[in-house]
Amino acid sequence: MMSFDQNAFLIIFTASMISISCGLLGVFMMLRKMSMTGDAISHAVLPGIVIGFFVSGSQRGLEVIIGAGILGILATLMIDWLRRKARVQLDASIGITFTLLFAIGIILINLLAYKVDLDQECVLYGEIAYLPIDLWITGGGQNMGPRIMYLALLNLILVGGFIYLFFKELTVTSFDENFSMVIGIPAGVINLGLMSMVSYTTVSSFEAVGAILVVALLVVPPATAFLWTKKLNQLIKITIGIGIGIAILGYYLAYFFDSSIAGMVVSVAGIVFLASALYKSKLFSNRFGTSTKQESFGN
Amino acid sequence: MINHIEHPIIEIHDLTVSYDQSPVLWNVDLSLPSGKLIGILGPNGAGKSTLIKAIMGLVSPSGGYVKLFDKSLEEVRSRISYVPQRESVDWNFPASVLDVVLMGTYGKLGLFKRPGKKEKELAMECLEKVGMQGFAKRQISELSGGQQQRVFIGRSLAQNADLYLMDEPFAGVDMATETAIFELLKQMTAEGKTVVVVHHDIYSAVNYFDWFIMLNLHLVASGPKETVITEELLRKTYGGKLNLLTKVSDLIRQKEFNPLKN
Repeated sequence: MMSFDQNAFLIIFTASMISISCGLLGVFMMLRKMSMTGDAISHAVLPGIVIGFFVSGSQRGLEVIIGAGILGILATLMIDWLRRKARVQLDASIGITFTLLFAIGIILINLLAYKVDLDQECVLYGEIAYLPIDLWITGGGQNMGPRIMYLALLNLILVGGFIYLFFKELTVTSFDENFSMVIGIPAGVINLGLMSMVSYTTVSSFEAVGAILVVALLVVPPATAFLWTKKLNQLIKITIGIGIGIAILGYYLAYFFDSSIAGMVVSVAGIVFLASALYKSKLFSNRFGTSTKQESFGN
Repeated sequence: MINHIEHPIIEIHDLTVSYDQSPVLWNVDLSLPSGKLIGILGPNGAGKSTLIKAIMGLVSPSGGYVKLFDKSLEEVRSRISYVPQRESVDWNFPASVLDVVLMGTYGKLGLFKRPGKKEKELAMECLEKVGMQGFAKRQISELSGGQQQRVFIGRSLAQNADLYLMDEPFAGVDMATETAIFELLKQMTAEGKTVVVVHHDIYSAVNYFDWFIMLNLHLVASGPKETVITEELLRKTYGGKLNLLTKVSDLIRQKEFNPLKN
């Protein structure tokens, strides 16, 4: 029943890399209380993808990633502007921004439908199961393996590098933005850098997991890890561990139930989170409620 | 009653700050001497925190300017240290006490560099000064309010600055800690550093500070303790608040029995 072939390995490997990239960024989004901004970005990049697609004529073009990156930053700036200048609450300004940009994206897809081979479903849901047949063939006809795997690898290297290089700056701006500005760390630039990485990661992953499930990968593994530790290094390590774990478990469950892999990966993440939350709340009530009982058992 | 001085460490010229068109600081014009322990007094909403934030460039003024060490803020950033209000951050952040104090060294480290052994030793020294050396490995979510405040002061000490601006560092701190920290601040001013503190308690303030800034949207007074702690100026600062007025008279009466000049 259980199989471990090359395709399974490639899919699990790629899914792990995507969930690690998302999780790493998600840790800092969570610490900045900006998890929902990640949600907004993942939807707001749609018009950028369509325009990039239209300009380059293919969904593999660099234009797609640049277009999405610009829209992601635009969404971040718009949310920030609505909040600071127009005095709209954060949740409302997120809601306004991403629905507006997403709607523009849908209209663009319809308008350009005859020129662009792209539909909402592909952007929203993605499908990692097609990964082994979507190959990267070089100019000389050399088969290099799955294209999406390389996208995910490049994405992971860039996200990892970004976080490694700016770890100190990301940490201090997440903890105390005013203080970081006082000591001369450009908090606005760091923030835009993080948002750009989130936009890029979203685009890089949307073919595999889609724009909706990417949000889950940004939010759920860090939130789960935060239930288990109060140390930043541990938080990152546990997030990575959860990312790999849910990719393996999600793949085999999807195989077993003959269902969507990305859907299963995110469902597993949700279940791991709920189980952690229940276990932690049980520990909590044990400590205060039933501790005397346990002691009497000891005697 | 505004004393201007020669070669000030902070010079504020006609500073006006407004939020949403309603001014919170009006035409503040003052100069402060170096090597002094300076207290900012005033009722709630008088613009005390705003004044500190304007000096640090965290709010942009609608008029006027601030000069530090006779230069612009950008040129002297590394010589200035800031202690924000404790409530301005989320203490559930996953960091240890040492991590937070180390952040004080980040300004001088520059991009890409991580704090090393030298920075860690400095941070431990600073923790010792605020009496928190035993808590270095403790997560900040497990600290009491007073301990959090001491961590923030420790972080500002790690900046190794010449001018310290502290926003309500004694909110939620017990008397013993308050006295210990004031001793530390006095020692720092004796070494030639300048410390500016927003303080809410007039009673303890008169015992500790050398120089006072009294604010109530306008600048009421700025000068050495002997010249500005008078009934008239305190009334002007806290005016309109009835129960406070009686407290102020109490204070003045105390002052007559126990002259401050000693």
